[in-house]
Amino acid sequence: MHIVDGALSNPVVIGGAVAAVGGIAIGLRSLDLDRIPTAGVLSASFFVASLIHVPIGPSSVHLILNGLAGLLLGWAAFPALFVGLLLQAVFFGFGGLTVLGVNTVNIALPAVLAWMIFGGLIGRGSPVHGAIWGGIGGAFAIAATTGFVAISLALSGDEFLPAAKLVFFAHIPVMVIEAVLTGFAVLLARKVKPELFVKGASA
Amino acid sequence: MKSWVVIACLICAPLPALAHKVIAGVFPAGDAIEGELGFSNGDMAVDQEVIVYGPDGAELGRTVTDADGFFLYVPKQPVAHRFTADLGAGHVANVTMNAQEVAEIMGVAAEVVETSEVQATVAGPEAVIFAGLSDEERAAIAKAVRDELRPLRREIAAYREQNDLQTILGGIGYILGLFGIGFYIAARKKLAG
Repeated sequence: MHIVDGALSNPVVIGGAVAAVGGIAIGLRSLDLDRIPTAGVLSASFFVASLIHVPIGPSSVHLILNGLAGLLLGWAAFPALFVGLLLQAVFFGFGGLTVLGVNTVNIALPAVLAWMIFGGLIGRGSPVHGAIWGGIGGAFAIAATTGFVAISLALSGDEFLPAAKLVFFAHIPVMVIEAVLTGFAVLLARKVKPELFVKGASA
Repeated sequence: MKSWVVIACLICAPLPALAHKVIAGVFPAGDAIEGELGFSNGDMAVDQEVIVYGPDGAELGRTVTDADGFFLYVPKQPVAHRFTADLGAGHVANVTMNAQEVAEIMGVAAEVVETSEVQATVAGPEAVIFAGLSDEERAAIAKAVRDELRPLRREIAAYREQNDLQTILGGIGYILGLFGIGFYIAARKKLAG
């Protein structure tokens, strides 16, 4: 999921950086005082989630949790995920500093899209109903991220379809796990702190 | 047993290419450069083409990894060698061996021949043992030593990639600090406004 230094062509890297700066700016503007702790907690969760490897068959995949961050934060997911990615690059060597912009867009933009599409649905109806939409949103964010990763690679010269297929199919288990995780997180939050979503959807 | 390992590697080769870091390293091995290519979860890159570039970007040659992710390249010029492999899906391995090390490898290969001649003429118990070894035996010893060292090197590479609790806690600390600063700035703005 993290694209490494040197895998992408310069225009893609620069374009990604510009888009990331734009997203972070919008995110920071939408980040009011009450939501800063939420953003911090989700940033920390994202940072640690990539270290949790889920063994599947002979391989293993790691969690991303961008759907959950998007559903709870909206545009504010951009700065939150950017901080997480920056620290992952510095501490663990995941991705790299030059491709930080592209990685931020690839992971945070699907989060924002998930919020735009499913954010309103989660706040409505019963908590279980909201949780199901939350799960779909979580899976959608991962699927969209694989799509964005494939597009980044395609713009740098790789064949789009094989790259997209490879990334997509490898992440199906992650989608399932994240759908369950996000669904339960939404269920819990709807019961404990219902105003979190009503506000998130209207902001 | 070994064939099963190879089959297992082949089956899971395309999948782990996605969720893990690429590990690549090059070491001197006699008169050649030996390299290792794989992923941080222990899966090695099998039958992967490695392209060797010179310092000016010109291609010097190509080599292919074996079933254990190792490749060999015999340098022809004492210049910096950059080894590049595209493992697909955004994973690119890039390692460089500097000119000095390459020159040493080429120098070692030349020196071995000279010293063996010199030692053959010097009388002494050690020299006799040394001179008694043929080139094949010497190569066999060098190979055995390299084989012994290989798991160690792999372990060191894996160790370097390990993320311990301190690193994780440090990262979380940074996040808390950053959002604390954000909180501070936002609160000041609110108070001022």
